[in-house]
Amino acid sequence: MSTLKNWQDLPYGGVIVEAGSAAKYETGTWRTWKPVTHREHCSHCLKCWEYCPEDAIILEDGRDSSGAARKFVKEVNYFHCKGCGLCVRECPVNKDGKFVALGFVRDEV
Amino acid sequence: MTNVTAGKPKIVPITGAGACAQAMRQINPDVVAAFPITPSTQVVEDFSAFVANGLVDTEFVTVESEHSAMSACIGASAAGGRVMTATSSAGMAYMWELLYVAASMRQPVLMTLVNRALTGPINIHCDHSDSMGARDAGWIQLYSETNQEAYDNLVMAARIAEHPDVRLPLMVCQDGFITSHSIQTMQLEDDKAVRAFVGPHKPYHSILDTDKPVTWGALDLQDYYIEHKRGQEQGMRNALRVIQEVSDDFAKTFGRQYGLFEDYRLEDADIVLVALNSAAGEIKEVIDEMRSKGEKVGLLKIRSFRPFPYVEIGQALSSAKIVTVLDRSASFGAHGPLFTEISTAVYNYSPNQPLLLAHTFGLGGRELTLRHIEHIISESRICLDKGEVGNRQGLWVNVRGDKL
Ligand code: SF4
Ligand code: SF4
Repeated sequence: MSTLKNWQDLPYGGVIVEAGSAAKYETGTWRTWKPVTHREHCSHCLKCWEYCPEDAIILEDGRDSSGAARKFVKEVNYFHCKGCGLCVRECPVNKDGKFVALGFVRDEV
Repeated sequence: MTNVTAGKPKIVPITGAGACAQAMRQINPDVVAAFPITPSTQVVEDFSAFVANGLVDTEFVTVESEHSAMSACIGASAAGGRVMTATSSAGMAYMWELLYVAASMRQPVLMTLVNRALTGPINIHCDHSDSMGARDAGWIQLYSETNQEAYDNLVMAARIAEHPDVRLPLMVCQDGFITSHSIQTMQLEDDKAVRAFVGPHKPYHSILDTDKPVTWGALDLQDYYIEHKRGQEQGMRNALRVIQEVSDDFAKTFGRQYGLFEDYRLEDADIVLVALNSAAGEIKEVIDEMRSKGEKVGLLKIRSFRPFPYVEIGQALSSAKIVTVLDRSASFGAHGPLFTEISTAVYNYSPNQPLLLAHTFGLGGRELTLRHIEHIISESRICLDKGEVGNRQGLWVNVRGDKL
């Protein structure tokens, strides 16, 4: 059943009265192409995370070769990823051209 | 509160623009943002003197354009303030985008609109092309025949616009130069009485309430946009009732009674003229004269054009035999906006179907004299006797090269 509200139940003028409610909004339905991570080629430079306008690149904690704590790319949050392709375009590994760290494929929604 | 006189109402000689500035002083809004433009300039000019002289507590924002003026008004209103402005013609055209934003964000911004022709060719004089162009923007529009009516409408404006069932911006319209720059005697009510009538402003989800953070003006797509617009439409529908309630309370407080429209000698009228703003004054005079000669003629003067009281007007015109509508703006390639509304009201809500005659007059301040009105009435009589309006339909009045 739809959780969308009737007009009578909305506050006036489209005001959003709940802080941070954008997280509940599924921008994933806008997507026609989707980014796919290939972690074996990823350098974990985090450029994709930095560029993503939807905060859809999910990171995880880990350690680098010297044992220091740092963040690694884990996966894409497809609830929020709108398929803009910014991450794919800005990925330095992709730009280098030898490997694809972030692929971009037709989405079957 | 600053410098509030307590006492009796005064009879004062004042221009229509000056009268609106006085209403603004008495209302003492939190914020006024405006950019001066002829013929509304005196409203802002007088008000800025009140600010400079400490007669109001208002934050007066001088902006570089009307686009910014309306933007500042919307922001200040979303911040929880009572907000007012004034403009005319091209000034309002430059606010266009923001007029819609104010209405869709349900911000009850209050405006004095001094009606002036839109540019093309440049002209500073009266017609209604500015407010008629903005009729779909979602603002309540109240029209005023006299300086007194402009003042009274503005005193009532806050309570109508800010009513919890309405929450919409409101413009009080009056005719550029004809009333804005003409001195008429009128009753200026006591400051305290006006402030008591208007009452305090209640903010709605203010962006300055940091304990309850909100977002105003967010993107709104296929899933909710139309629900928000439906709510906006409901505010307008509710406004019909609220305008009358506030007007009735105004009558109890100050003694002058207003409706959604004024019917002047309408009960038994065969010929009914329909008009807005100052032209109604001349029309009334001609009606009295022609009535004394036995012609049954009356006037329907619209006060609330948005929302438009279709049902009430249809009923008021139920015994008319011909309704001649005088539009002071042109909708090129169509009949004037007032005519189309009156036609809708008559067709749907009047038990009788009178002849309907459309005329356009007064563009760019072209005069409408008593003689022209007499002529319009006699032409309406001819149509009525023939039982058809024929090629008189859509004629422009007092244009060289045309007959009317
Ligand atoms: S931009 Fe490319 S290489 Fe850098 S973390 Fe993202 S996917 Fe990995
Ligand atoms: S495609 Fe766009 S939205 Fe999706 S993860 Fe990449 S940058 Fe973010």
